[in-house]
Amino acid sequence: MISSDIIRGHLESVILKLIIEKDMYGYEISNYISDKTENRFNIKEATLYSVIARLQKKELISPYIGEKSHGGKRRYYTITPLGKAYYEQKIIEWKEVKSVLETLLEDKS
Amino acid sequence: MRKIENFVKHTFKDVSKEGKAELIKSVTVSLIEKVEDLIELGMTEKEAIDKAVTEFGTVEDFFQVPEELTRKEKRRKTMNHYKNDLLFSGVGSIIIISILLYTNLYFNPSILWFVIPSIAVLWWPLAILYNLLNKRENRKEENDE
Repeated sequence: MISSDIIRGHLESVILKLIIEKDMYGYEISNYISDKTENRFNIKEATLYSVIARLQKKELISPYIGEKSHGGKRRYYTITPLGKAYYEQKIIEWKEVKSVLETLLEDKS
Repeated sequence: MRKIENFVKHTFKDVSKEGKAELIKSVTVSLIEKVEDLIELGMTEKEAIDKAVTEFGTVEDFFQVPEELTRKEKRRKTMNHYKNDLLFSGVGSIIIISILLYTNLYFNPSILWFVIPSIAVLWWPLAILYNLLNKRENRKEENDE
């Protein structure tokens, strides 16, 4: 399992993207990340909740109590307009970072 | 579910007062959600709680991102503070020593007694300098880790 600083620096964007796709609750997000990356990256709950708390404080996402498809209540998070704008900004930044790193690190063929 | 609550409270026991209750509440809620999900998948309650607790990580994981920034920021402030202290003590002792020198030369230039109190006064900036150098050394060590 990798746990690099590079990923950590972009966790906000990752979580915003997942919430834009679909409203999710805490554990669903961590599960989804593990599934999607086929366990190559597992987010620790401690890290996840701190990112969520930060996003919520910045009013990029907002919580609401929702019903799960079968049974219990969950605290779901949904994206705010501000969050969406922030995410779009971040994705531009990420593309820039990615292209810079690719230019610098990859072999010239 | 008491167990989860106690675990979260214990994990965050050293967090500063501000926002602590809110933090504990939201983390507890999220962890309980996880436990409920795991039970739905067929685990016993005990297994589910154990899994949630072991997978949680540490309080360091929780604060890794924001804390690092504030700590560096704080340290830079203290370094500037120490430098100001050094400047202040340096200027202060120069003023005192020149007054001593003046008094000495004016009233009894035959005996250079001003040297003695001057040495005493010099301990002031020296002590501050010692502190500053210690602080720097600590910072280097921390950066090396």
